[in-house]
Amino acid sequence: MKKTKMITRREFIRRTSLAAVGGAVFLTKPEWASWNAEGPAEAAQEAKKSKVVLIRNKDVLDERGRPVAAVVQEMLDTAVKELTGKPDAVASWKTLIKPNDIVGIKSNVWNYIPTTAEVENALKKRVLDAGVKESNIAIDDRGVIQNPVFRKATALINARPMRAHHWSGVGTLIKNYIMFIPDPDNYHGDSCSTLASIWDLPHVKGKTRLNILVMLTPQFHVVGPHSFNPKYVWSYYGFLVGFDPVAVDATGLRVIQAKRQEFFGEERPLSPPAKHIFTADTQYHLGTADPNKIDLVKIGYDQDIFI
Amino acid sequence: MKQRTAVCAPARPKLRLLALLLVLISFSAGVAMAQSLDNLHSILPAEVNGWKKAAPPETYDKSNLFDYIDGGAELYISYNFQKLLAVRYKAAGDEEIVIDIFDMGNSYDAYGLFSHGREREDGLTGQGSEYNAGLLTFWKDRFYVSILAYPETEGKKEIVLRLGRKLSQAIPQEGPLPPVINLLPQPDLVPESVRYFHHYIWLNSHFFIANQNILLIDDDTQAVLAKYKTADKPLHMLIALYPDETKAEKAAQSFLKNYLPDAREGMAQLPDGRWTGCRLAGNRLNVVLNAPSREVAVSYLESIGTGRPPGK
Repeated sequence: MKKTKMITRREFIRRTSLAAVGGAVFLTKPEWASWNAEGPAEAAQEAKKSKVVLIRNKDVLDERGRPVAAVVQEMLDTAVKELTGKPDAVASWKTLIKPNDIVGIKSNVWNYIPTTAEVENALKKRVLDAGVKESNIAIDDRGVIQNPVFRKATALINARPMRAHHWSGVGTLIKNYIMFIPDPDNYHGDSCSTLASIWDLPHVKGKTRLNILVMLTPQFHVVGPHSFNPKYVWSYYGFLVGFDPVAVDATGLRVIQAKRQEFFGEERPLSPPAKHIFTADTQYHLGTADPNKIDLVKIGYDQDIFI
Repeated sequence: MKQRTAVCAPARPKLRLLALLLVLISFSAGVAMAQSLDNLHSILPAEVNGWKKAAPPETYDKSNLFDYIDGGAELYISYNFQKLLAVRYKAAGDEEIVIDIFDMGNSYDAYGLFSHGREREDGLTGQGSEYNAGLLTFWKDRFYVSILAYPETEGKKEIVLRLGRKLSQAIPQEGPLPPVINLLPQPDLVPESVRYFHHYIWLNSHFFIANQNILLIDDDTQAVLAKYKTADKPLHMLIALYPDETKAEKAAQSFLKNYLPDAREGMAQLPDGRWTGCRLAGNRLNVVLNAPSREVAVSYLESIGTGRPPGK
């Protein structure tokens, strides 16, 4: 694991004070965002924006709160078309996946708020439509290290729900790859700030073709040993989809923070902070967490959108 | 390289004696074996309001707690987790009430675990409890108990509280609080902000200081963090009890070197105008964070363990 530079609260205060004097403070970023061993985060960023699609549809959940498969498929198709600029879903997926690819769909099986079979099946269908043999597709979470398809994978699809998390602030697309290492515990220190380093490992690096942050029923606060309370789960009816996992996670985090503000009636920062999203940007350069460098496209239901 | 000397107030003899006593107490108290998990399981009724106790209960230890608590076991293990008994009550359909009884080995860690997660205290049961939308957590002696009943209904809430009180009554004695808690000045203290821990990650979880363990907080340390109301932003107090004066001195040096390199008499004003400082007292390091002025910071540091309120 990459040795991390010493970062202190004091250093953050110093940097933000200087930025304020210069009129260049990152108002939309939390404090961790401006920390970069090489200098201001902005200097290290490329000018190109990361596109993130937020798609919402109130019909995606049935009366019991379960995803409706057909609506899930339609929403994901629309998002991918928007991302690729292609007129139909299959053509879009063919720009992402080739017939000879071996595809691992990295899911999340947390029993209270899983990725859901409806999302997994919608993704698998389009991978099949792209011409990949069924035997070359696997859906897995905790078994990815042993899974023969994942071990040979040439392409990964990353799909998981966002939820508050007591180690990392929020469970994210970046964090979803923690199962690709044998020692996840070693990444829990310092609010999981080194998670993005996993994306640089040889069996993961450069393979991710699409990131889907499931925002159907996110959880914005965490209490208790099982980290779940329906009081802190709400129906958002959405997906955040993009090629840049950091941009997608950072956008999802803004939704979570806005919901917390609304629910608690005051600014209630996540504890611990979702530092790993911003170190993924400023230290590991996996993508951008800066809203100014994210091209957010909103499609569909716009009530209580929070962003 | 010339070694930096921690500039801290000399320990007064009375305070030093108090600190030594606290450490002695800390290594001898709170470990009485009063009740077993099996006994606690046996006192739970076979049925309550139509909910039936499923058998057998599940038990977990450090080796397999990860199987039960997805992604969260490290929290419990860092608080000296020994064993968990999970009991389920089932009703019609898939609904269940889940009782998790954690044996934390001693009362300090049971309290510490409770203090880590609580947002308020309601005094419903045990030595400290919090009920929130279908989840009751409480601690008593060396046990930390969680009773979940989702989604919440009035009927389930009544059962959850009844089961919680029954368990609390079955734990015959109360356990001592970590003595370091008693050193906190009381005026303007936000009670639910008091967090006890011996792993620096939990300090950062509630008040980020540095991404490395610059205060040398580990399993041999007893630390408490608490928030105090002030006229504007709250200030925080951290008190850490180390196993000996040498380690406390090293921690003070590390803190000054890494966080307050420009400190004078252990005190510095940060770029946001707030004051942070530390005082060494025998094996104890007192730290005040985000004080509105130097005078307030000094008054808080000087009031620790004296029973006197800080001056304003």
